[in-house]
Amino acid sequence: MSELTQDYLDRLDRVQPKNLPGDLDLFDEETATRGIRLNKAAYSLKDEAQRTLFLKDEERWMAQFELADEEKELVRKRDWIGLWRHGLSIYVMVKLSGVTDTPLPEIGKQMRESGGK
Amino acid sequence: MARVIGGIGASHAPSMEHVYDAGDEVREAEEWQPLFGPFQEVAKWLEELQPDRLVVIYNDHMDEFFLNAYPTFALGVADTYRIADEGFGARPFPPLPGDAKLGWHVARSLVADEFDPTICQELEVDHGVISPLPMVDFAEGEGGWKIPIVPLAVNVILHPLPTPRRCWKLGQALRRAILSYPEDLGVVVVGTGGLSHQLTGPRFGAVQEEWDREFMRIMVEEPESLCELTHEELILRGGTESVEVVNWLAMRGALPADARPVVEAYYPHRIMGYGLQAYAVNGATS
Repeated sequence: MSELTQDYLDRLDRVQPKNLPGDLDLFDEETATRGIRLNKAAYSLKDEAQRTLFLKDEERWMAQFELADEEKELVRKRDWIGLWRHGLSIYVMVKLSGVTDTPLPEIGKQMRESGGK
Repeated sequence: MARVIGGIGASHAPSMEHVYDAGDEVREAEEWQPLFGPFQEVAKWLEELQPDRLVVIYNDHMDEFFLNAYPTFALGVADTYRIADEGFGARPFPPLPGDAKLGWHVARSLVADEFDPTICQELEVDHGVISPLPMVDFAEGEGGWKIPIVPLAVNVILHPLPTPRRCWKLGQALRRAILSYPEDLGVVVVGTGGLSHQLTGPRFGAVQEEWDREFMRIMVEEPESLCELTHEELILRGGTESVEVVNWLAMRGALPADARPVVEAYYPHRIMGYGLQAYAVNGATS
């Protein structure tokens, strides 16, 4: 691989935050790639039939998606920080928090105590 | 020909929906009057202005668009827009009336101007549109929605995002699109989102009042200067999710430089800096 060219780096400066402190995160290539399975799963909860299935049989609901065991465990534990660290977008997370009846302040409390990524 | 007769910048948030849906008593309670009071003033102003269309620049929150195909810009060209189910059941509003003909005109004009939105004949709108809109554009009971809309969605979620300068230019191109529409329509351009908020990580809930107030001043007096900021600078000032303010910037780009707010409010409350500006355009009022 060659080094990145200066003209590309200049363009990158316009769109890619590089110097954010660790406690300010982005949903970008890395997060979107890491989180795709969890995001797909939680996004399904837009659909009422999926919400019904989730409430009836959470394991069967999870089995529809190619979640890693570790990811399933995070869902079971309602580990919002863990889910965030594994790339679940906050906007998709609220669909999971909705079906599990978790108020946003509870997620906020965990976030504030998380100490970052 | 169509005219741009006003502009509105407004925060959007599920909290605003909860308050609205709880009814008059909660809306008029002291806690929310600093925000809902000014929204009523905007509704009154709009009632007098009598716009024929609203173009609503907003962002979707993975309610219509998802990671399988996330558009940088997306434009509605439909005659009706359903309310998205965001995971809790859709809010009980009738579908919003649209204007497919105007939508297609805007699509052609934007693409001719080298803006290339995803063109949507179906589009479900989420709280990016319908958290602020009922406050200014909905009559309860028989009335329903008053003004047909054209929705224009901007990606502020999945980086890389369109730059603030790009969004400003999008607003300018939208203005050219509206002004070139042959029907005599009065159009108000709405930009929703922001202001400061942080929904992830240990800074969850942080509100940056000083920056928000400065942002609103700049929006009025020297909006184009915001094009100099990067997303990184916006995030450092207002939080990760505050980059939504580029929707305001696009709205402002569609207005003449001398447009000035007739209603303005800022309310830092709980986990949000709520902002509201309604811009009058010279010569547009009767």
